[in-house]
Amino acid sequence: MNDRPGAAHPLTEAQSGLWYAQRLDPANPLFNTGQYIELAGPLDRAVFETALAQAVAEAEALALRMVDAPAGPMQIVDPARRPALEVIDVSQAPDPLAAAKADIARDMAGPVDPARDPLAAERLFVLGPERHVWQQRIHHLAIDGYGMILLTQRVAELYNARRRGSEAGAKLPGLAIALDEDAAYRASEKREKDGAYWRELFADRPEAASLAPGMPTSAPRFHRRAVEIDGAAFARLREAGERTAVPWPDVVTALTAAYVRRHTGTAEAIVGVPFMARLGSAAARVPAMLMNVLPLRVTPDEAAPLDDVLGTVAKSLTRARRHGRYRSEQLRRDLRLVGGQRRLHGPLINLLPFDETPRFDGLACRLEVLSTGPVEDITFTFRLHGTEGLRLEVDANPELYDAGTVEAHAARLKHFIEAASAAATLAEVPTATPAEAHRHLFALNATDHDVPDTTLAALIEAQMRATPDAPALRFDGRTLDYATLDARSAALAGALAARGVGPGSLVAVALPRSLELVIALVAILRAGAAYLPLDLAQPDARLARIIGSAKPRLVLAQADAEERFAGEYKIFPPEKWPAVLADRVPPGPAPGDAAYVIYTSGSTGEPKGVVVEHRAIVNRLLWMREHYGFTAADRILQKTPATFDVSVWEFFLPFLAGACLVVAPPEAHRDPVALARIIREEKITTAHFVPSMLAAFLAEPHAQGLSLARVFCSGEELPADLRDRFHRTVQAELHNLYGPTEAAVDVSYWPAGADDRSRPVPIGFPVWNTRLYVLDEAGRPQPPGVPGHLSLGGVQLARGYLGRDDLTAERFRPDPFRPGARLYATGDLALWRPDGAVVFLGRSDHQVKIRGLRIELGEIEAAVMASGLVRQADILAREDRGTTRIVAYVVPEPGADLAGLKGFLATRLPDYMVPAAFVALDALPVNANGKLDRGALPAPDFAGSGARAPETPSEVRVAALFAELLRTEAPVSAEDDFFTLGGDSLLAVALLLRVREAFGRDPGLGALFAQPTVAGLACLLDGDEGVTDAGLTPLVTLVEGDPALPPLFAIHPAGGIAWCYGRLARALEPRRTVYGVQAPALAPGVATPESLEALAADYVERLRAVRPEGPYHLVGWSVGGIVAQAMAVRLRALGLDVGVVAMLDSYPADCWRAEPEPDEGAALKALVALAGHDPDRLPALALNRASVLAFLRASDSPLGMLPDAVLDGVARVVASNSALVRGHYHRRYEGEVLHFRAALDHKERDLSPSLWAEHVADIRVIDIPALHAHLTGPEATALVAPVLARALAERETNIRETTACATAV
Amino acid sequence: MAIEPGDIKRIVTPAAPVTRERMRADIAKMLHEDPEEISGGDSLIDLGLDSMRAMNLVLAWSEGGLDLEFSEFAEDPTLDGWWALVDARQKARGG
Repeated sequence: MNDRPGAAHPLTEAQSGLWYAQRLDPANPLFNTGQYIELAGPLDRAVFETALAQAVAEAEALALRMVDAPAGPMQIVDPARRPALEVIDVSQAPDPLAAAKADIARDMAGPVDPARDPLAAERLFVLGPERHVWQQRIHHLAIDGYGMILLTQRVAELYNARRRGSEAGAKLPGLAIALDEDAAYRASEKREKDGAYWRELFADRPEAASLAPGMPTSAPRFHRRAVEIDGAAFARLREAGERTAVPWPDVVTALTAAYVRRHTGTAEAIVGVPFMARLGSAAARVPAMLMNVLPLRVTPDEAAPLDDVLGTVAKSLTRARRHGRYRSEQLRRDLRLVGGQRRLHGPLINLLPFDETPRFDGLACRLEVLSTGPVEDITFTFRLHGTEGLRLEVDANPELYDAGTVEAHAARLKHFIEAASAAATLAEVPTATPAEAHRHLFALNATDHDVPDTTLAALIEAQMRATPDAPALRFDGRTLDYATLDARSAALAGALAARGVGPGSLVAVALPRSLELVIALVAILRAGAAYLPLDLAQPDARLARIIGSAKPRLVLAQADAEERFAGEYKIFPPEKWPAVLADRVPPGPAPGDAAYVIYTSGSTGEPKGVVVEHRAIVNRLLWMREHYGFTAADRILQKTPATFDVSVWEFFLPFLAGACLVVAPPEAHRDPVALARIIREEKITTAHFVPSMLAAFLAEPHAQGLSLARVFCSGEELPADLRDRFHRTVQAELHNLYGPTEAAVDVSYWPAGADDRSRPVPIGFPVWNTRLYVLDEAGRPQPPGVPGHLSLGGVQLARGYLGRDDLTAERFRPDPFRPGARLYATGDLALWRPDGAVVFLGRSDHQVKIRGLRIELGEIEAAVMASGLVRQADILAREDRGTTRIVAYVVPEPGADLAGLKGFLATRLPDYMVPAAFVALDALPVNANGKLDRGALPAPDFAGSGARAPETPSEVRVAALFAELLRTEAPVSAEDDFFTLGGDSLLAVALLLRVREAFGRDPGLGALFAQPTVAGLACLLDGDEGVTDAGLTPLVTLVEGDPALPPLFAIHPAGGIAWCYGRLARALEPRRTVYGVQAPALAPGVATPESLEALAADYVERLRAVRPEGPYHLVGWSVGGIVAQAMAVRLRALGLDVGVVAMLDSYPADCWRAEPEPDEGAALKALVALAGHDPDRLPALALNRASVLAFLRASDSPLGMLPDAVLDGVARVVASNSALVRGHYHRRYEGEVLHFRAALDHKERDLSPSLWAEHVADIRVIDIPALHAHLTGPEATALVAPVLARALAERETNIRETTACATAV
Repeated sequence: MAIEPGDIKRIVTPAAPVTRERMRADIAKMLHEDPEEISGGDSLIDLGLDSMRAMNLVLAWSEGGLDLEFSEFAEDPTLDGWWALVDARQKARGG
């Protein structure tokens, strides 16, 4: 290496990752590391300045200049860049310390462009004669945490030596040592060995999880919460270290990893451990960026002695450090984890086992570390301070964690570590703090409520007597009043009693939806018996199994169903039911008698009957009546099959409220058109939908504009998007309910109203006299946000499974938190949100739900095995593009013909349980432990889609470039993703260079990240013929949103490019499609339009091509607003519906006519503005093409990657637009314009939105405290987006109401 | 001049001199090895010492009041190299 001053060196491996990360996020200030030290006492300022100057001169990295060269970034030590001490006197401020801190915060919040700005700053704040604050800010490219300590200690050492008149220690070594060592390592055999070690350790490509869902990204700020670890606990940790000969910091790392694993719910935690990479290095004392992050796989055995666990983790750490110089960025590339879709590790655990505070003679120092680089996810830092104290700092990315969650982690991890310090095994240590446990077990479950101890039969009888003349039941145009229902059900109850039916007996009902069905159910209850609903659509074999195990005393069915019961059961058909009561109404049931038995799928292949008592269902129904305020005015739709327990409240709630039950015709529950008609015609107030059925229903045009009082969802997860779609389609409250058949229909509720923003939609809070517990494996309550097993307690629990005491004992157990009470283990996974609402996460076992129907895959597997055609089978529910389908993987018996398998299953399973696909395999794949490896099962070929070979000429060329750069062996398919194939940001830059050579166009790094597949990139390159956008087509999709919402069209400002609206487009809630309208003349050879009217007319045609009908929402910034007004006029003239017209600080053409014609400088300024910079704030920038282009490339704007032809196009468009505006005379728009005024601007000119008064009918002005040039920046967007979104929503509500009225007329 | 708790400890704790043999024994314990297995010129990294263990050792040897810099130890991780650093610092302190 050349040590000549000014020699350029490539970046080290450690720096390269940071360089590209900063390039992708140029506005992020967290790439600056920083700290400040409060110096109390008489500081010898002259000595300090000398000491600092010398230390800074030694630390060459602080003087680095970065150059973005075509071959890759280079670095040069440039003494001119060396930071000089800036002395700032704040002693006159009212609170000098606060003033200094505010200044420091401002400084740290400013992003640094490493290609342009100095990397380091040294600042000394004078607070008073004996009070100083020394701040250091150094870009992470130049230094790491340990380097910062070296530098700081060196300053102190030089200061003390000079004051004492003694000799200071050796100089800090030069940067060349670090660069040489890095280069040597890169070429070494050691690196090969290290790489092989890591690749083998991660060969199984484990899935790393963190403490919050979502992918880590760089964020410009972070949350921090710090707590002290109890001194006695810290002493015990040190003792454990002594005892086990494990360094105590490794003890803390092991315990923290165990804490992380508790939260991820996986068997293994993969955490990141910062590694200083200095031991045994010649560069040990060089202030530079050497730090690496090592991924650590930890599978703590919770039951093993804790000392053993500590030893195991410490051994993994030692091994990792032995190979610790191998960069984790490189490992990511090796493992193909680039592209942001997968993690290498979860949280970072950073141990700083020494006090970093420097010691200056005669001064008391207090160190505050402000930033050690971007916090992508969550970092747990433990710092030693003083000599005995251990401080835990939790830093977290605000995009993934809110402040409350960070605070909770700080308290919880502190508690965990303190408890673990005194524990013999990890299993003893709870995850939740005592306060969290108490809140979850008791406070959230304080649901005690007085409910009369009565029966469903008694409540219905009371209502029938109270309102005999009110309509009780409606079916097929006929109405039954309560008196008639009373008479007919009493007559049948008497007949049942005469046939020996009474409390304790079971009566099967196999009737289609009809008046008779309802009468039968009420009669059975009045006779004191429990009803057993049967579905005659299921195969004989299953029906026979259910009947065989339930042994009902009687079957109520139509006469023609006789043969289904194989003559074994006597049918009692409706035509034989008496019309009048022969004797007297039987006495009826007691609250502890069974009310109904509903069969659900069983895991062993045997369906199981759930026995629910009156007391349980009465609690459920009275809660619902009170909670939602049902009255006699309600009309409740009965459409759920009686075999599904949702039907229970549909059938009986009306009779507890004196309301009317409207029974849908048989089969109507699957017919959205029929449902919409009955809801409208019968004036239904309340209906239930399984979410998947609700989705189908909302897609039906007849559902548009329906109005009900309330709709209930249960049976499946309610997707948040469906909730939002519901509220855009139907006027009604929406409620999400949850509960298994084993707990009387529903045990929890959540109002999923139009204002509910929850994602996912919770199942909510417990109903009366009910408890929800989310428990860990040891049966302890989980803290918020941690998945666990959902268990239920309370009055609604079922008695158990009919005739299956074994199963009952297994699932219904004593409640450890409530003596004498029982708990039902649902088998569902759930978590508590911080607000206490419960969120359903899925099944812990092999049960799935399809269309709300509960399915045990074991039952299907048993049926498959019973066919005798297969030796082995595994049944999976696979989710593919939002649809769940059952897939059977089978190993056929030799010579067996599988063609008959599906038919065989259809005779034994209900249709919804018959697999959608069968995949025959030679053997089922197993993992190393001999367990079935479900991840290795191939996806079934549903649509004939496999790896599609590249087809179009562009795809073929792009695939060839991928293959060449990535050196792939297998052919690259059209769907292959650049990053999954092993591409990284370095290779991405190389790819774009090759693309530019091959296609003459460069879509830019951002576009490649958005469209990383061969097909996607080829489509981008094919430009306007393709379905996707190249970024410069006249209509560019900025955001894809709900197709049901009218899109927003954003008209380009002067430069002709509409990318500037990207942030605004993403910020609109709900998400709707936003198109950017861009100047066609950006493309070479396209003429500029003759007038602004012609331009507007052309744009209107383009809008109509993608969206034939209105309303057309328009927004435009600057010139874009003028165009938008002209487009609105044009749309109206064509008789089309104009939606919202919004202007971002636009002023009429009259204001500009007198201005001088713009020169080339103005066009270039427009370009700079497009890149997000305020050109007026860059006076040093020479306004010529070369320097502006260089600036754009250096500032990492995607504009810098545009081909020259396009930049020419921009210049042309700016000039043309300026001329068009000057020549334009507005026609009046007879509508309202929403005007966002840049309230901080126009100080020197009298520009006011009121200038539009004569050109528009009405104008609404919103003042945004921003400059004109910043109106699409983050701060302004945060203010503009909600106002605009509300205006769009209001406009659409008006339209919907108008349409609804029109339909009604 | 403000005195930090750490300084007090440094001032009042009698400085039990660190010997080469104590260093050898401490290193051996960290590596789960017998002290005889560790020769003066062996690379401690090759013997399995990692940075956290090394730092822990340096911190333990500093507890008697010696002003030891981990970064200096990191440059040459051998028993001989480390003893030279400790010895020099103890002599400077004693003298």
